Amino acid sequence: MKSQNPFYHRVNGVTQSKAKDLIGFVFLKNRTLFTLCNSVFQILFISVLTLTPAGLFAQTLGHDKMVDILKGIDLRIRSGGDYKALVYLEQHQKDKPDIAQEALVYRRDVDQKLMILFTKPKTDAGKGYLRVDRNLWYYDPSVGKWERRTDRERIGGTDSDREDFDQSNLAGQYDPQFVGEEKLGSFTVWHLKLAVKSGIDVAYPLVEFWVDEATGNYLKRQDFALSGRLMRTSYDPKWDKLYSDAKKDYLWFPHEIHIYDEIDKGNSTLVIIQSVDLSVLPENMFTKAWLETKSR
Amino acid sequence: MSWVLLLLQTSLRNIFSSFLNMVIGIIILVGTFFFVVGGSLVDSMDKSMSRSIIGSVAGNAQVYEASSADSPAIFDNWQIPDLDPIPDFSKIKGPLMSDTNVKAVVPEGVNTAIVVYGNTIDQVLEKLRKAVSPGTRQPKPVVESLKAHVRQMVLDIQTDMGKVNRIASNGSFDPDAAENLKKASSNTFWNSFDRDPFDHLEFLENKIAYLIPDSDQIFLSYVGTDLDAFAKSFDRMEIVDGQMVPPGHRGMLLSKYVYEEMFKLKSAHRLDQIHEALTEKNKKIAKDPDLQDLVKQNKLQTREIVLQLDPLSGQKAVSILQTALNSKETDLSKLLSAFLDTNDSNFEARYKIFYDQLAPLVELYRLKPGELLTIKAYTKSGSVEAVNVKVYGTFQFKGLEKSGLAGGLSLMDLMSFRDLYGYVTPDKIAETKALEKAAGVKFVARDQAEADLFGGETSDVEQSQQKAINDRAEMGGSNKVKRVDLTQRVYSQDEIDKGVAMGAAILLKDPSQLKATMTRLQAACDKDNLGLKVIDWQKAAGNLGQFVFVAKAILYFATAIIFVVALVIINNAVVMATLQRMREIGTMRAIGARKSFVLAMVLTETVVLGMVFGAIGSALGSAFVVFLNHAGIPASNDFLYFFFSGPRLYPDLNAGSLIGAFFVVLVVTCVSALYPAMMATKVSPIQAMASDE
Repeated sequence: MKSQNPFYHRVNGVTQSKAKDLIGFVFLKNRTLFTLCNSVFQILFISVLTLTPAGLFAQTLGHDKMVDILKGIDLRIRSGGDYKALVYLEQHQKDKPDIAQEALVYRRDVDQKLMILFTKPKTDAGKGYLRVDRNLWYYDPSVGKWERRTDRERIGGTDSDREDFDQSNLAGQYDPQFVGEEKLGSFTVWHLKLAVKSGIDVAYPLVEFWVDEATGNYLKRQDFALSGRLMRTSYDPKWDKLYSDAKKDYLWFPHEIHIYDEIDKGNSTLVIIQSVDLSVLPENMFTKAWLETKSR
Repeated sequence: MSWVLLLLQTSLRNIFSSFLNMVIGIIILVGTFFFVVGGSLVDSMDKSMSRSIIGSVAGNAQVYEASSADSPAIFDNWQIPDLDPIPDFSKIKGPLMSDTNVKAVVPEGVNTAIVVYGNTIDQVLEKLRKAVSPGTRQPKPVVESLKAHVRQMVLDIQTDMGKVNRIASNGSFDPDAAENLKKASSNTFWNSFDRDPFDHLEFLENKIAYLIPDSDQIFLSYVGTDLDAFAKSFDRMEIVDGQMVPPGHRGMLLSKYVYEEMFKLKSAHRLDQIHEALTEKNKKIAKDPDLQDLVKQNKLQTREIVLQLDPLSGQKAVSILQTALNSKETDLSKLLSAFLDTNDSNFEARYKIFYDQLAPLVELYRLKPGELLTIKAYTKSGSVEAVNVKVYGTFQFKGLEKSGLAGGLSLMDLMSFRDLYGYVTPDKIAETKALEKAAGVKFVARDQAEADLFGGETSDVEQSQQKAINDRAEMGGSNKVKRVDLTQRVYSQDEIDKGVAMGAAILLKDPSQLKATMTRLQAACDKDNLGLKVIDWQKAAGNLGQFVFVAKAILYFATAIIFVVALVIINNAVVMATLQRMREIGTMRAIGARKSFVLAMVLTETVVLGMVFGAIGSALGSAFVVFLNHAGIPASNDFLYFFFSGPRLYPDLNAGSLIGAFFVVLVVTCVSALYPAMMATKVSPIQAMASDE
């Protein structure tokens, strides 16, 4: 049996005399132990031969490639002109009744402007958010007041935040680091770790992304506090693309976002972008005055 | 009879006959004194605290939904208990009122709200926006004054940023912000303001205002109630500023304590604190580190006043301060800092100047009676709701003016409370269900998410078709959402009663019948299936209500220890005294005294000793309580202020404590003398007379 094994002869022939010095006479005398050791060696050898090509050709992404991936995501989400979406938000909370809302999201990415106007339920209709430059304003028509909010604002009391509805600037805000190639269900994904660049204000300074290798869309995202504590996990399993005349390319948006609160376990939010309209919006609409006129 | 007289005579003669008797007597005296004084103090505190709790918010008893996870805790301000709502207060009011001893049933609910104030420039810009907006337009002089104020603020920011830039490394100041400040302070900007005020306001709000990071928020605890019924039932409540909320109106009454602590200009409030400490507590700034800290804060934090002053008011303030300080300095911040750097000799004069001359130039309170207050609260469902309520005035509970515990709660009308509580009505549940159904989505559980969302197809992309979104249709067929101003609406008693309440306070005609009434009420609630639980004021007060139980337990425990120690010492002392009297007892036995006489003699002597010193202890204790009743015990902190139901506790002599002291002394002396008395009966005349001593 052994003579039929080429590895046995080679290994045995090369190492036998040295093995006497190295392992000792007792070891060689013990034929059973020697056979066992020999078998382990054979397995290791075969493994090395088998894995070396895979190791040589494994997908490790360089920094430039990762930045390109992020730029690709930013570019796809960015709208060349105006953007309007009808969005459904559903909040599940432990031991509390569900919250369901509908809102219109308006964007003018060229000027970095965003407005969210709630339309349903009746008690929330007319409430809204307006982002202009680094200011995020919240308006409640029942009291007629504007308030400054931070980027960590829970939109409409859900686990979603402004970034879930806004254009993306991942490449500008974060430095990427490659974690590895992984499987997410039936998808093969790149796992990236992003750390915020110095001097930039974002809701979450540390973010992990799982990007679909096939399409370049991110499918999973985890947001961390500066302390490293996981704050929320979100999944974007379906992406829609819509041709934009203004952009002369497709505009991509997640059809649905499943957000899970990692602090208040049991709380989660579902965001569905029901439809997108890329028609031109009124010139003066991203102002406080415009949002105020939506309620009387 | 002659026996008894003889025994009493002997006992009284022997009281001061030995040193041991004096030791026993002093122990009994101290224990009795402690018992009488402690019992009277705790009893008085119990009564005064019950006055504080019953008379302020709790009533004699409270009812709440029996299915609730927690029970009411009215004074645990920052821990709102998890109570299930009583869906319709009107359905419980009648059955509770039908009890013959119930005077009133007042619906109540405690909650905490947030009042958000933007930064100083945001607040002035908000006023300016209102002043130029169509429905709320103000006369030109008002608009011009506000514009001048904003311009002054822009200049202040520019000056401050310049200083920061000089101190910090070059380029630390955002060049865009510098450019924006330059534009906002220019004549061109302000000359063109009236042509398009909203465009200019957007610029100021988005490019300038964020540079001042001094936004503030106030946490406000309040009781939502039927204000009219509350005022009639809780007669200690009195209006201090403004007026009572008119019947049926939405509105709020701020606690005077909260109003002073939270809504007053911080520098002015600190001056008040120093003034009170100097005039009422005889403290000195030079010797008190807390007062020195207040002076330091006033000296450093002048920006709050500076930003409040428009150019004209600023000039007046400079002039006032130059005269007060005899200075030629023109920088307002420096002058204010020097003026507020007070000491014991100049404080009162500057305090007067501040209120007489400077205060009229600034807004002493962020909110005045009659103005609207926007408050937000987390609803039962976790979302945030906001309402505007008119603050009609401030109130306080008589005798509890300076108590943060009693004064920590403000009062709000029941309709606004219900809006902020966010009771999920059947209509709202139906609306949510309809939205969920229309969306047609399936909830994916956290632990199944990856398998459910990524387990099937291997493509995540779909091509979408553009759909025109009709804003009007999405907003219910109108371009504008209709909002009703509820601040002016008047509600009928029926509307106030028919709705959610978190509980109700029950006030009794005869409070001494509390336990019997509670039993009847609980039985009535159970019989009518109202699902309510009845608790007394002590439990309803939360942890605070248990204080007297703890105080009583400590007192009784300490007294018990003293008397147990006394019992042992008295026992030993009487044994020693009996041994010293062996010859005497033997002689008495030899001349015909029976064992029962000896037993009675030792017992009577000890009891008489106890009674005499117990009486002295009780008398001294009573005298001390009478003295305290006249002098009063000062409340040195907020908790004591509440427990004393005012600034001082005037304890009453408690008859129960005197009777208790008599009883305890009797028992302790009898028990401790029993063994030595038995021992004395066993003395034989021959043995006693044969012994040397």
